[in-house]
Amino acid sequence: MKFYETIVIGSGPAGMVGATILGQHGVKTLLLDENDFIGGQLVKQTHKFFGDHAHYASLRGFEIAQKLQDGISSNSNVEVENAATVMGIYPNNTVTYIQNGKKCKAYGKKLLITTGAMEKQLPFVNSDLPGVYGAGAIQTLMNEYGIMPGSRFMIIGSGNIGLILAYQLIQAGAKVRAIVEALGKIGGYAVHANKIKRLGVPILLNHTIVKAIGDKSVSGAVIAEIDDKFKPITGTERELVVDTIAISVGLTPLTELSEQAGCKVEFIPELGGYVPIRNERMKTTNPDVFIAGDLASIEEATTAMIEGKIASLEMVQELTGKDLEKEIENEITILALFRSGPKSVKIRSGLEKMGIKNLAISKPRINEPKEDIVGKLRAVLECDEEIPCNSCEVSCPFGAIYIGENLNSTPVLDPDKCTGCGTCVNACPGLAIFMLKEDVENRMALVGIPYELLPLPVKGQKMWAMNKNGDYVCDVTVERVVKYPNKTHLVYAKIPIEFSQSVRHFSFIKKESPIICRCEEVTLDEIENTIDSGITDFEELKRLTRVTMGPCGGKNCKLVVLGILSRKTGVSISNLSQGTSRPPVKPVEFSAFLKCGDDK
Amino acid sequence: MISNASVVIIGGGIIGTSIAFNLAKLGVKDISVFEKSYISSGSTGRCGGGIRQQWTSPMNVRLAMRSVELFRRFREDIGMDIEYHEGGYLLLAYSDEEMGEFESNVKMQNQEGLSVQLVSPGEIKEKFPFMNLERVVGGTWCPSDSHANPQIANIAYAIAIKRMGVDLNTHTAVDGIDIQNGEIVGVQTDKGYVKTNTVINAAGGFSHEVGLMANMDIPTHSERHQILVTESINHVLEPMVISFKKNYYVRQTMHGSFVMGQSDKKPAQGNDLGHSVEFLEEMAPKMVHDFPFMTHLHIVRQWSGAYNISPDAQPIIDTAESISRYIFAVGFSGHGFMLAPAAGEAVAEMVVYGRSKTMDVSNLNMRRFKRQIKSEKNVV
Amino acid sequence: MKGRIKAHPILEFKREKRVKFYFEDREIEAYEGETVAAALHAAGIRVLRYTSHRNRPAGLFCAIGKCSSCLMKINGVPNVRSCMTKVSDGMKVRRQKEKGDVL
Repeated sequence: MKFYETIVIGSGPAGMVGATILGQHGVKTLLLDENDFIGGQLVKQTHKFFGDHAHYASLRGFEIAQKLQDGISSNSNVEVENAATVMGIYPNNTVTYIQNGKKCKAYGKKLLITTGAMEKQLPFVNSDLPGVYGAGAIQTLMNEYGIMPGSRFMIIGSGNIGLILAYQLIQAGAKVRAIVEALGKIGGYAVHANKIKRLGVPILLNHTIVKAIGDKSVSGAVIAEIDDKFKPITGTERELVVDTIAISVGLTPLTELSEQAGCKVEFIPELGGYVPIRNERMKTTNPDVFIAGDLASIEEATTAMIEGKIASLEMVQELTGKDLEKEIENEITILALFRSGPKSVKIRSGLEKMGIKNLAISKPRINEPKEDIVGKLRAVLECDEEIPCNSCEVSCPFGAIYIGENLNSTPVLDPDKCTGCGTCVNACPGLAIFMLKEDVENRMALVGIPYELLPLPVKGQKMWAMNKNGDYVCDVTVERVVKYPNKTHLVYAKIPIEFSQSVRHFSFIKKESPIICRCEEVTLDEIENTIDSGITDFEELKRLTRVTMGPCGGKNCKLVVLGILSRKTGVSISNLSQGTSRPPVKPVEFSAFLKCGDDK
Repeated sequence: MISNASVVIIGGGIIGTSIAFNLAKLGVKDISVFEKSYISSGSTGRCGGGIRQQWTSPMNVRLAMRSVELFRRFREDIGMDIEYHEGGYLLLAYSDEEMGEFESNVKMQNQEGLSVQLVSPGEIKEKFPFMNLERVVGGTWCPSDSHANPQIANIAYAIAIKRMGVDLNTHTAVDGIDIQNGEIVGVQTDKGYVKTNTVINAAGGFSHEVGLMANMDIPTHSERHQILVTESINHVLEPMVISFKKNYYVRQTMHGSFVMGQSDKKPAQGNDLGHSVEFLEEMAPKMVHDFPFMTHLHIVRQWSGAYNISPDAQPIIDTAESISRYIFAVGFSGHGFMLAPAAGEAVAEMVVYGRSKTMDVSNLNMRRFKRQIKSEKNVV
Repeated sequence: MKGRIKAHPILEFKREKRVKFYFEDREIEAYEGETVAAALHAAGIRVLRYTSHRNRPAGLFCAIGKCSSCLMKINGVPNVRSCMTKVSDGMKVRRQKEKGDVL
């Protein structure tokens, strides 16, 4: 048996930060991890992280992991054992692990357990078929080994993990047919959802999977709408042709080792399920055992890192007698700030159930927008949800973006100060900032869009401009591509000024023609061919192809059709006739006209 | 929970539920069983599930043989499949001295009508070629020894007695036994009071504590025994194999997993149900040595249970001298599961007829400890 | 798009040393550092075993050694987590049927 002052179990963000701080304070520490690398699930994350710069915001998960790994390997007080599977914690803080097929024992005066979480199951018919994976498994295959387990995916659950997975799949070249979500609203951050919506991935709310189809492996999925009791509504079933189904319906803490270490565990669903009871400083009911990260409550890497810091500082204080009160209190305040937004309501109420009071701190707010300056090259911030992130504010070299004291507050741009440099577009983890410069005279606008897909467009390339829902808007020619070392590049193209608030993605021109008019199912090809045949009047085009003549009255496609006509004929949209608007604006039943409702 | 019980049984383990089953079968009404936790939460649900008739004391042999008869009918009588399997028991000897003891045991067991035979290493090797019999000089083989799933058996009894009208109360702890002038008048539980004149102590690991409730100092104590289970694999090992010398028992369940255990050198006393890493450290080398195929088998769980031990490692089934109608069926010393069907039958008969009819268990009385104690030897 | 990702906008995959292993006697090429499950997925193989009770096909589920979905017979040893076992030259991998044999 080997003896240490502390043993840290698990080398995710919480464990890495904890081990680093313990080592920095001269505490002899053993860091154990089951994998043959340290970093936990962070190494599989290709997206940039939210948060503040003290906690590596704007860096990608694997880059954060690298930085934390460097901090540990340069620390002589931290001994790392990889490929070490802890199989049990026995009385007297005896940690038993298996390494190279051999049992090893280690004693630690104090333990920091950061075993993280695993995915919740979702039972449905054939959910055991090969081709049904936990979302994390796909991330492991795809981002760790560079192996795609399928070509056409469906994702169950629209929390941040499901949304991020969809984006990562598209980046790696796969097709995501749909995300189904049982609730009536998207679970994750709006910016993550927007990132995939504009790539054309539908998020089907109030939907569930009924069953997976397949003999030896998944070849499809039956989905259905559900009622308010989450029961599938008969008659709404439909089949999606997919070969892979990802389940991402949440995580639940891995508490076994903490239980064996004598920590009292309670069921607090707001925190993810069974969680060890602990105090504000991450100390469990066993005074020698501390926890941090997803084991303590299902949250994010940033909160895991802060918790790892708080736990390890308190451990140092107890082991060495150093006075670290100020640092600890400071970290507790930072953590409270992170959790002060509307997305942390559940966590806050879960912590209160455990008897941890939430600090009274400045509340996040929706900041008032400043007056816009049309015609100036500037950033457009589409970040309207209070989430804990201030990377745009910090990244701006000119102080043009304001968030304020609480990093959950929404950012506002001061167009006066903005120079159009694009630094914030590159930094934003949510890819929620765009560049815009209108040319009012020529009725055109230059729009710049963050781009993380392959292949990267080149100057002069003809592409399709897509709106926030991934629908075709107009054809564009790429004006400029600005490459950045962090691989979030910026692609600029000119579009008709009317579309400046809708175009948010450039897509490569596909062989199959996009549907322009959803009601009448008219494609771009049909419209262009009709125009090419000499029909250059909108009214005629409409009558011939039936575009804009469906039940929606052209609300969805009229502007797009006018754009096509404008591009083809060289006449600006404002100079084209858009026809006459006639009632009813929305479909109305005959029966409504059988009786008069004027006289009450 | 009824307010007037003809009999109160303390303990919902295999012994308590078997007694209740046999009482109900004899027509006794208003039986109450109190279990402070859930069915099979105590020693029953933690045991190895072996059913052995090869004992060194004739009484144990008889009780076990009767139990095997009843286990064979379990499905018909009680209504559930409990994975009962007659795969036999193989006991291993490592010295001429041990073999000599086995010989005299077999002689006695044969006299009791049990079919057991001595086997040579060659015969063992022929039956079980995968075993490493290094230093084994022989053994005994009883094909009608068996094993079953103790949890299911306990739950099967519980389901059966509920069906038969027994008042079974789980998560109900007995706090005290109300005795006036040497007569039982009732039992106090944490959920209420029940009037009764008869109490049966079938409290397993807590038999001593329940004895104290009636001012009886029952000579039993509990000690922790550890056990482990592996992943399941296709069937390899038919019998339960025991080595007293090397201190282990092992069997493969019908589900395919291997269950095995030993007696710790210094077992934790009382009802400490923790576990130690030393247990695995001690078990692993000897099991892999004797069963080389286990080298890559995965251990999936370890746990422990209490042996409720009597001075001679045989059960105590008796009525108290000082208090009328206080009966105890305790001190099964790690073998309660396998003896439960016969013990339950005997105790029920004691309640109804004043003595056990089917099989005389009177020599399992408490008075025997006043004489010289002759201990059951073959205990792991 | 199944199989090894050739180009990725963010990540670079280090694939250096090739190894050969056998799946159901079929030779499969993989890269050192890949797990058995990953290497089989790269070769388009997703059915890793047939379950013992219902004889249903089963594959990878969690990929981090927390579930038991991907158990395979590797070098003769049944019930090995193929998601946690790295491929090596000459390794013999089989789909597990039933509970696996130890003899």
